[in-house]
Amino acid sequence: MDVSQYLEIFVEETKEHLQSLSENLLVLEKEPENKDTINEIFRAAHSLKGMAGTMGYKRMQSLTHNMENVFSEIRNDKMKVTSELVDTLFQCLDALEAYLDNIINTQDEGTEDNEPIIKLLNDFLNGNQAAPAQAEAPAAPAQQQTGASVSTKLSDVKFADFEKHAMIEAGKNGMNVYGVNVHIDPNCILKAARAFLVFKNLEELGEIIKSIPSTQDIEDEKFDLDFSMFIISKEPLDKVVAAVKNVSEIKDAEGEQIVIKEEAAKEEAKADTAGHSNAPARDNSKPAQAKTSSKPVVNRSVRVDIEKLDVLMNLVSELIIAKNGLVASNAAEQIQHSQNFNEQIEYLERVTTNLHESVMNVRMVPIETVVNRFPRMIRDLSKKLNKKMELYMTGEDTELDRTVIDEIGDPLMHLLRNSADHGLESPEERIRLGKPEVGSIFLDAYQDGNNVVIEVRDDGAGINIEKVRNKALEKGTITPEQAESMTDKEIIELLFKPSFSTSEKITDVSGRGVGLDVVKSKIEGLGGDVECHSVVGEGSTFTIRLPLTLAIIQALMVKIGSEQYAISLGSIQTVEDIPVEEIKHVQGKEVINLRGNVIPLIRLGELLEVPDTAEDAENLTVVIIKKVDKQAGLVVDSLIGQMEIVIKSLGKYININKMISGATILGDGDVALIIDANAIV
Amino acid sequence: MEKTANNDISTNQFIIVRIGNEQYGINIKIVDNIVRMQQITRVPKAQKYFVGVINLRGEIVPVMSLRRRFGIEDDEFTNATRIIIIKPEQQATVGFIVDSVKEVVTLEEDQIERNSISTDAEGQSYISAVGKYKDELISILNIQTVINDKEQA
Repeated sequence: MDVSQYLEIFVEETKEHLQSLSENLLVLEKEPENKDTINEIFRAAHSLKGMAGTMGYKRMQSLTHNMENVFSEIRNDKMKVTSELVDTLFQCLDALEAYLDNIINTQDEGTEDNEPIIKLLNDFLNGNQAAPAQAEAPAAPAQQQTGASVSTKLSDVKFADFEKHAMIEAGKNGMNVYGVNVHIDPNCILKAARAFLVFKNLEELGEIIKSIPSTQDIEDEKFDLDFSMFIISKEPLDKVVAAVKNVSEIKDAEGEQIVIKEEAAKEEAKADTAGHSNAPARDNSKPAQAKTSSKPVVNRSVRVDIEKLDVLMNLVSELIIAKNGLVASNAAEQIQHSQNFNEQIEYLERVTTNLHESVMNVRMVPIETVVNRFPRMIRDLSKKLNKKMELYMTGEDTELDRTVIDEIGDPLMHLLRNSADHGLESPEERIRLGKPEVGSIFLDAYQDGNNVVIEVRDDGAGINIEKVRNKALEKGTITPEQAESMTDKEIIELLFKPSFSTSEKITDVSGRGVGLDVVKSKIEGLGGDVECHSVVGEGSTFTIRLPLTLAIIQALMVKIGSEQYAISLGSIQTVEDIPVEEIKHVQGKEVINLRGNVIPLIRLGELLEVPDTAEDAENLTVVIIKKVDKQAGLVVDSLIGQMEIVIKSLGKYININKMISGATILGDGDVALIIDANAIV
Repeated sequence: MEKTANNDISTNQFIIVRIGNEQYGINIKIVDNIVRMQQITRVPKAQKYFVGVINLRGEIVPVMSLRRRFGIEDDEFTNATRIIIIKPEQQATVGFIVDSVKEVVTLEEDQIERNSISTDAEGQSYISAVGKYKDELISILNIQTVINDKEQA
């Protein structure tokens, strides 16, 4: 069978299932009794097996099959989840990922059979079977036990008021109420169809009043191998059970007559009406739980090639440029156009802005897709480094442009490894310092204006400023004089210099000296920046700031001499009129005191070597820009206004200074350069 | 469109441009377009020979002055001044300001002298060969050295 056309889907879905497995395994390790998780895992493993089989990847199928066996044992409570087991299962996931990589690269799963892992899995299975093997002799009683437990379950079932009412009425009319547990054969393919036949047969005998899970769920095959139903019927119990067993591929069914005492029901009803107390509340909470655990799969979506989105984005950019041109010519020609014309232009502006936002949104991917592999990584690191640590993540749903998402994984991973390796102390050390033994690493993402901020924080030792200073001296990065005068912050900045690692021992986790500078250059390549704050003894925070979009931004247009420049609105705090006499000088630099903050002034005209800037007027127009906690005032000649601009690259051959982040085409067709405020502060 | 047509016929067609008193040939294969002088936006702190960037049908194209590149006195833009838009590779465009564009000529192999180029003198390396066309000498530009040498501004 030619399956190549499904390959893409297979790869995507396999990735999703692997991810879900990895996440749920972590949960399972912490909560070995969590049935929902086990079911979720089982489902994912089962789908994986099925998909691999369909695509003809036999090795992958065999591995997942063995995994599924293990999960099945766990699910049936025949096996305990241990840390070793989870380790092995993670190895399986790694092996599956390796298969997947092979498939992506060569369309073939490769020849690795992964027998050691399969053997390990089987050892777990066998070792496990050995334990219940002792209990194998009384297997029948065990089964009976389960039967008993099920039947107690049957009588434990809570009924809604109307159901109780119907049952009581039935009792009065000489009818019987039965509960039936139906077990479907594990090899059954169309479970829902079998269930439907059971329904049909039972309906011939009486009235079905309730089923667990709900009828809808059964129709959707949202159940495992058994379900229960309650029926009101004149017929004896045997006949009802026989009717169920009549359906093929039904392994077993047992029934029980249910007697609802009218008084008890009344009492309960009273209690219910008395305070709308527990019973209905519980009833309500149950389905809610069920809903959250079975994730809705009805998310209608289309997979689109990212290149098509790029084309769309370019077209939107062109449209915005054309729109700007129209607005500019309308303003320039000074002809009194009809009211209608102006209204239409305003309408066009709104539409293009909305269009741009929609296209951007389509390109946005939650950061989750990158960070969801980190819990697993931290778990591995924890074992490898012999440090206890826990990763806390927030804001996984924060969205970033797809191109940024693709690039941000490695830098984040590096920062996390850094925190785990250098940041957190050893458990003994932590206990000595009176800190909790388990170290915490936090990864927080949130949107801040036009930026997305990602923080990697740990509660470890913090950065030892003296150590960095000495190291820098030793390496000759700075001179002794410099070392004297540098602030702590400047010292920390040294960490981002190439080939600078202070870890005394080099591990394979981090510490090869190709760390933070790579992180920095990668993030700057994405138009963002990274900073570090650290308090000795309390931990360090690395803050990554990324632009929300790489293509279209709102900007303030300013005039310097005869040239126009754009400054991203996202980095502008305020615009001030400053009288010349308020300029003070500190260490030969111009500063202003703005509402208690001393802000350095930067004369853009001089910085950009603009010819013939305007003479100093009495008042200077100062654009205050802000980057995290640093501010600067950019002196410009005049303001032009706010505009939506499309960022374009300046091409390959021209060397541009870092403070120019690109160029844009104005409404009249002229080109204006975009000033990167972050590079100036 | 014409460009592709020419491509198929011959790879030895050259656009002859004038800079000062000299004539230079640019292989027509890599010429994307020839446009009139237009508004150029200065780019601060770029290489000195880059005059700035222009808007070419919605694309930003950096423009260099061949005069500045060759160390001749600066251009004085006239009505004849043109910008030759060069596209040496996909997604990379650059413009050359020249005093004027003369004509397109076809040079046969025997009209091109490749060995007489001495690279000792400053600027000579910008030329890959010398073409002889009707009694005149045409310096054929070595585009790669012209655009790639990123001297510090």
